[in-house]
Amino acid sequence: MKLELNLAEEFGSSLSDGSVAAEFRMGRIDPYAGICSQIVLDFTGVRSANSSFINALVAGFMEQHGPKVLDQLVFKGCNPVIRVLVESAISLGLEKHAQVA
Amino acid sequence: MTLTIPPQIHMDGLLPFLARLSTVGDAEEIRLDFSGLRRVSPGALVALVATVTRWLRQRRKVAFLNLDRCAITGYLQRMDVLKCCGADLPEDFTRHDSRGRFVPVRLVEHDVEKIGNEMAGCLAPGGEDYEHPNASLYDLAWYVFTETANNARQHSGGLGYAAAQVTRSEGLLKLAVADNGKGIRQSFIDAGLSWAENLSDGEAILKALAPKVSSKGRPSNEGVGLTLVSGLVRQTRGWLLVVSGSGVVRMNPGGNAEILPFPEAGRYDGTLVVTAFRQKSATDFAVLLHDAKLQSGLLRAGAQGGKFQP
Repeated sequence: MKLELNLAEEFGSSLSDGSVAAEFRMGRIDPYAGICSQIVLDFTGVRSANSSFINALVAGFMEQHGPKVLDQLVFKGCNPVIRVLVESAISLGLEKHAQVA
Repeated sequence: MTLTIPPQIHMDGLLPFLARLSTVGDAEEIRLDFSGLRRVSPGALVALVATVTRWLRQRRKVAFLNLDRCAITGYLQRMDVLKCCGADLPEDFTRHDSRGRFVPVRLVEHDVEKIGNEMAGCLAPGGEDYEHPNASLYDLAWYVFTETANNARQHSGGLGYAAAQVTRSEGLLKLAVADNGKGIRQSFIDAGLSWAENLSDGEAILKALAPKVSSKGRPSNEGVGLTLVSGLVRQTRGWLLVVSGSGVVRMNPGGNAEILPFPEAGRYDGTLVVTAFRQKSATDFAVLLHDAKLQSGLLRAGAQGGKFQP
């Protein structure tokens, strides 16, 4: 089963509020980590984002589920800035996961 | 008590101005004399508005004196300073499009993204289009604004105000966010971070600039907002000033963040964050952000990446 989430449809073209992202992750992504073979986070149409939002969305997911979910996760339609934010959120989340493990 | 607003409040004049504001203490009636004011920065404007609105919220009386003799009353009106302070005057001028020049003082409300879009669009016209030459400047302004504004809105417990200006002669983009809340040190303490009780206000600011320190707590916050703002300032050889309580931390081009003494034993009840960037330095925001994250230890070189699709 594939889960595809379009961030622009959910939140519009600008993403900045970490608390909104954390709530979305816990309700809409975390429950599917062990169920879906692929989770696509589609950033098509997202013009701007900041670290607070992307960390709450991605780093939190990586921290909770560890490196194994990297095989499941696909980041689609990222502009270069969002790609930097996602890569750093993955790094941060994996680092935290390793500390807990 | 009557408080005379000094003629020039920018750069080195900002801290003495804040110190002067703090001399008001518990006075119930405050008269602000604008007759000598000639020049003022966005940082001073948002700090003034945040302070006056705090006084008004405390039911103190605030009067604005000699605006008719002030050389820049029209500018104060265009920047919505008087309007935000509840002292609006009739406008005998036409408001022109401010895009590319300044963003008036705005209350930082819940829709930070929308304000960020308006602010970045004003400071870097056309940058909304990712292919536009102003796109990186747009991204820089949007990023710095949303991170600092979210801090003011979510951490301070008070009201936050933002303003910005582009100075063409200096080629600078100046952006300031001020709130009239509890201050950085107290927000750490209120979040249950007991180590903050032993910090001075200046040390608490430095802690907030360090990576992965947050007063908001999990799961929504990784404590990187101000860290990356200071990282971007460092990358672009810009300026950063953070004032909170009795603490002052400044970063000059090429330097590190350092604690400065508050002149005249002053204080600022809330938090003020002022940034200034050289417009020319914002050539590729993705690279700037990447480098700021590497330098802050928030991204390791060669770290495991994810799967990306167009």
